[in-house]
Amino acid sequence: MPREIVSTGNQLAALAAIDAGCRFFGGYPITPSSEVAHEMSKLLPKVGGVFIQMEDEIAGISVALGASMSGVKSMTNTSGPGISLKSEQIGLAFMAEVPLVITNVMRGGPSTGLPTRPQQGDILQAQAPTHGDYQSITLCAGSLEECYTETVRAFNLAERFMTPVFVLLDETLGHMVGKAVLPDKDEVEKNIVNRKVYEGDPLTYEPYNVGPDEPAVLNPFFKGYRYHITGLHHGPTGFPTEDAKMCQELIDRLFNKILAHKDEIESYEEFMLDDADMAVIAYGSVSLAVKEAIKQLREEGIKVGLFRPITLWPSPEEKIDEVCKKFDKVLVTEMNKGQYFKEIQRASGRKAETFDTLFKANGRPISPAEIKAKLKEMAAK
Amino acid sequence: MRKQLRFTGVGGQGVLLAGEILARAYVKAGKYGVQVGTYTSQVRGGPTKVDIILDDEPILYPYAVDGEIDFMLSVADKSYQLFKDGVKEGGIIVYEPNLVYPTEDDKARWKMFPIEVITIAKEQVGNVITQSVVALAIATRMNNIDKDLVYQAMIETVPPKAVEINKKAFELGYKEAEEVLAKYS
Repeated sequence: MPREIVSTGNQLAALAAIDAGCRFFGGYPITPSSEVAHEMSKLLPKVGGVFIQMEDEIAGISVALGASMSGVKSMTNTSGPGISLKSEQIGLAFMAEVPLVITNVMRGGPSTGLPTRPQQGDILQAQAPTHGDYQSITLCAGSLEECYTETVRAFNLAERFMTPVFVLLDETLGHMVGKAVLPDKDEVEKNIVNRKVYEGDPLTYEPYNVGPDEPAVLNPFFKGYRYHITGLHHGPTGFPTEDAKMCQELIDRLFNKILAHKDEIESYEEFMLDDADMAVIAYGSVSLAVKEAIKQLREEGIKVGLFRPITLWPSPEEKIDEVCKKFDKVLVTEMNKGQYFKEIQRASGRKAETFDTLFKANGRPISPAEIKAKLKEMAAK
Repeated sequence: MRKQLRFTGVGGQGVLLAGEILARAYVKAGKYGVQVGTYTSQVRGGPTKVDIILDDEPILYPYAVDGEIDFMLSVADKSYQLFKDGVKEGGIIVYEPNLVYPTEDDKARWKMFPIEVITIAKEQVGNVITQSVVALAIATRMNNIDKDLVYQAMIETVPPKAVEINKKAFELGYKEAEEVLAKYS
C-alpha cells in the first residue's frame, strides 16, 4: 500500500535512508539540512543502526566512509559549506570506490552565504566536488515525494556502482511541510540493491581487478578478505602503483563504470511537453513554480511544457538535445547564475543567446508570477 | 477554494507549529495543505514568516503569493511592517496590540483585529509557548476552517505531555476570536 504522510523533505530523506537499508550516519549539523540528521538520530537506533554526530564535517564523512568499508550502508548529510569541507574525503570515496550517500540541502552561497534561504548554487560543486578526474552521480529532488524516492535510488546506485552519490535538496523542499505519497515499503525493500561480494578463495581476491566498465568488488573489512584501500592510484589488490597503463585504466574505469550504464542512472520528467509551443528547463523546487506557471498559462491559452532533469550528473544529454531541437523558445530557470545552463548549451550545441533565461541568486525562490511574465514575453516575440 | 495564510513573528516565537497543524488537518480531511517558513540566520529576533496554503486541489508552489494572502497573524511589529503588503485588500489581519502598531491607513485597507495572543498564552493559559496554538485557534475561527478537524490534528501533533495545556490554549484562542469578531464586525 502506498503510504500517505505529512512531512518535511528533510524528514523524508531520512526515512528513505532507513527504508533503503542505511544503518550508519556520520555527520555534523548545518542549516538547512540538520533535520535529516535529527531524524536519523531518532530512526537509526530503532533499527539497530548507529548515529554519530562528529566534531566537524570532515570527521562526519570519515566515519561514514569507514562504516561503508565495513559493509554497512552509510550516509552523511550537509549543506554546501559542508561539502566544501568534506571534499577531500569525497575524493577518497571516488578513488577507492566506497559507496556513500551524501545529501546536500542547498542554501545560499558561496562561503557561509545565506544559511536559511534556498538556492541551487551547488550544481557544479556536485559535478566536481574534489580535485582530479572522476564521474559524479547526482540526483536532484523536485518534490517532497522525490526527497524520499531519490534518496532510496541514491543508496541503490551507490551500491551498484561503488561510488559516492549526491542527493540535492534545497531549503524550500527540505523545510516545507506537505503531503507526500510514498511507495509501498515492501516494494522499496524488494528493489534494494546490495554491493557485490567476492566469495572465492581469499588468496586470489583482487577487488579492483574487474572489467573496464565495472565497479570494484570490495568485500566488507574484517571478514578474512584482505586488501588495501588508498587514495593513491592503485592496482588490482588496492596497493599503490605508478604503472602508466594501470593508472590510466583505473581513471578510465571510474568514468566508464558509470557512463557505460547511463541507462540505469538517467532520470527525468516531461510535464505537458507533448503539445507545447515553448519549453522550460528547470529542476529541484524551481520546477514547482514552473508547473504552477504552466497550469495558469494554459488557462490563458499559452501552451508551455517543462523538461526536468532528475539525474543531473551524468546529465540526460540526448534528451536535453532533443528538447532544445524540438523547441525554438526554451526558457532555462535556476536559483543560481546559470550553473546547469552551461550543461544545456553543451548538450544541445545551442548558443547561450538562443535561450531565454531567468536566474536568481539572492536566496529568494523564483515565483510562478516571475516565470509567467518571462514566458508571456517570450510568447509575444 | 484556495486559502493563503501567513503567520509572522520573530525567530524563537514558535509560529511554525501552527502552520504544520493546519496543513495536517487539511490532509487528514483528504484535501491539501502546505506550510513553508522563511526565517533569517539570527537565532532569535529575526523576522519570520510562515506561509500556509490550504486547497481542495494539489498545491505545487508552496509559498503564498504576495497580494493574494487572505489572512495574516502578526506578533511582532518588525515582521508586520515587512510582510503586511502581502495581504490582499480587505483581507484579515490579526495583530498583537502590545507589540504591533498598525497605522490608520492600515486599518482602512484591511480588516484589522487586535488580539493579545501572547498575553492570553502567558497569563490565561499559563505558558507563553502555547501562543502558537492560541494563534492556530484564532486562524481557524477567522478563516471558517472546521474547528474539530484542526483541534484533532493539534492533539495529534503536539507532544503528549503538552496536550492538556494546548487544549486550553485552543479553546481560549477560539473564544477570543469569536468575541473579537462579534465586537468589530
